[in-house]
This record gives sequence, structure tokens and C-alpha cells, in this order.
Amino acid sequence: MTINHLLPFISTAIMLYFTFSVLQRYYVRRAPHFLFWGIGLAMFGAGSFAEAYLALGWNRWIFFVWYLFGAALNAAWIGHGTLTLLVRKRWVKVMTVVLVVGSLFAGYLMLTTMPNLDTSIFTTDKLISEQYGTKVLEPGETVPDGAQTITTTYRGEQVTAVRGLLPLGSPVRLTTPFFNIYGLLTLVGGAIWSAYLFWRKRVLPNRVIGNVLIAAGALLIGSASTLTRMGYGQFLYLGELFSAILMFIGFRFAARPQPEEVAQPVVAVAAD
Amino acid sequence: MCAKNVPKGTYPTGKSRMPKDSVLFDKVIPASLIFMGILTVVLILFAAGVLLGIVQF
Repeated sequence: MTINHLLPFISTAIMLYFTFSVLQRYYVRRAPHFLFWGIGLAMFGAGSFAEAYLALGWNRWIFFVWYLFGAALNAAWIGHGTLTLLVRKRWVKVMTVVLVVGSLFAGYLMLTTMPNLDTSIFTTDKLISEQYGTKVLEPGETVPDGAQTITTTYRGEQVTAVRGLLPLGSPVRLTTPFFNIYGLLTLVGGAIWSAYLFWRKRVLPNRVIGNVLIAAGALLIGSASTLTRMGYGQFLYLGELFSAILMFIGFRFAARPQPEEVAQPVVAVAAD
Repeated sequence: MCAKNVPKGTYPTGKSRMPKDSVLFDKVIPASLIFMGILTVVLILFAAGVLLGIVQF
């Protein structure tokens, strides 16, 4: 086991503590955004753990957890927590129904895909993010080193594809971009927007910094995942770890109790 | 605290207000927000590209 294998376990530990601390706040304050954040963070932690596990060995249900919670749903659920702070309750209710139904549907699609996984190509030599998808090769495109290909009929055409765990055209893969776009808009967009509002009013500097750190953390993991899917997987574990740390520190900053504006005698201020 | 509620002869120190002439709040934060906004749009376009089949992986 190398240090690279250990990093996702450290990320998982941070996310576990983070999740516990957020859910504890929900238990005390009963504010729905803490519940959605807690669920999303638990999904993030489960995804990190599954990623670490799959670097050491194969288990189809760990892969189920990795894809559904780690690759598809977590950003959307964390972001939905932020959305509840920014829009009217009526819209929150509508979007909550859409998110829950969409998540259940994605879970159902993933379950129907499980018997068709191409597990024979699984290897611990590559990150799971680099081997889950079956990708059609465009004419003239070269086969990546060490990749196995398959020639099959897809959408009425004969194509050559790099084999992946999920079969070509798995419907569950179509759901992922929807969740990720929603997650990016609400989690990153929401944090940037909140930071901007406080910054513009020149108030609550801790919330400005907290939201900037949350947005940076979320963007870091989003960028690392995108790079991994483009074949640059060496940054993923480090990206995950820094993302977990940044979001955790950001949350602590943003959730810090606000000091009241203290009225002090003018003389005392002038004497400083 | 509203300004009209501040007792005469006192001055709100504003511990929850941003410091003036701060490089962090005047330069770093706005630049970060702009950069992150652009990166978010790029990632959203990328995800949309995947959804539409323009980007494949």
C-alpha cells in the first residue's frame, strides 16, 4: 500500500467527521440545509471510501456505492442544501421532490446495470475513475496504452470501443451530468453568490472566506474528476483530500457565530 | 445594528465588517470569485457537452 492509496482513507475520515458535525447541527437546529449537506457529505465520504477500496480490490456493491454516491449524487445533495438558503420555500419543495425522485431513479437504473458489468477488465493498476466507462473510439483515434477494445453494434452502427465496467450506453450514465450540473450550479454557484453578496455589503468577512473556501473545495474535486476522466488521474486522490479539507475549513468559517457589533465609546476607539 | 440605534457618543467597531484597505478583501477575494465563476461555467459546459454527446469519455 502506497501513500497514494492512503489519501482517500484520510479524505474519508475527514468527511466522516465533517458529516457528523453537520448532522449534529441539524439535530440541534432542525434547519433543512444542514440535513441536505449532511446527506451529501455522507455520500461524498462513501464515494471516497469506495474509491479507496476499489484501488485495492473488486467488490460490485462497493462499485455501486462509488458510482451512485461518489460520481453521481453527492454534489447535487450538498448543493441542494445551499439552495434551501437562497430561494423561496416553494421552490425548495419542488426541487427537493425532483432531487429525491431523480436520485431514486438513478439508483434503480444503477441496479438494473449491475448484472451487466464487464468485471473481467477490472484492475487495481488503474483508478476506478479511469476504467468505469466504455468509450467509443472515433475514426483515427488511437487506443490508449493497456486498454482493451471491443467491436460491437451501437445505435445501429458498428463501433470499436475501449472496454469499461459499465456497458456502452448504460442509461445511468446519462443521469450523472444532470446531477453534476445541478451540483455545480447550486454548490459552487451558491457559495460564490453568497460570498459575493456579503462581500458587496462589506459584512461578515468570515462568511465571505468560508464560502470562497467551500467553492474552491468543490471546484477542486470537480476539476480533478474531470481531469481523471480525460486520462490525468494522478491528481485525483490529492484533489479529493484538499477538497475535503477546504470544504471543512470553509464550513467552520462560515458557521462560526457572528460577533455582535459592539458599541464602544468613541474615546476608546480614538485612543487605539 | 441600525445606525439610529447607536447611542450618542458611541461608535460601532463592527467586528463583523470587513477591514478597510485589506488586500485579501479588496483584491484576492474578488479575483478568486471571478476565477471560480469562470471555472464553474467551463465545468458546466463540459458536463453539458457530455450530456449532449459532444464530449465523450
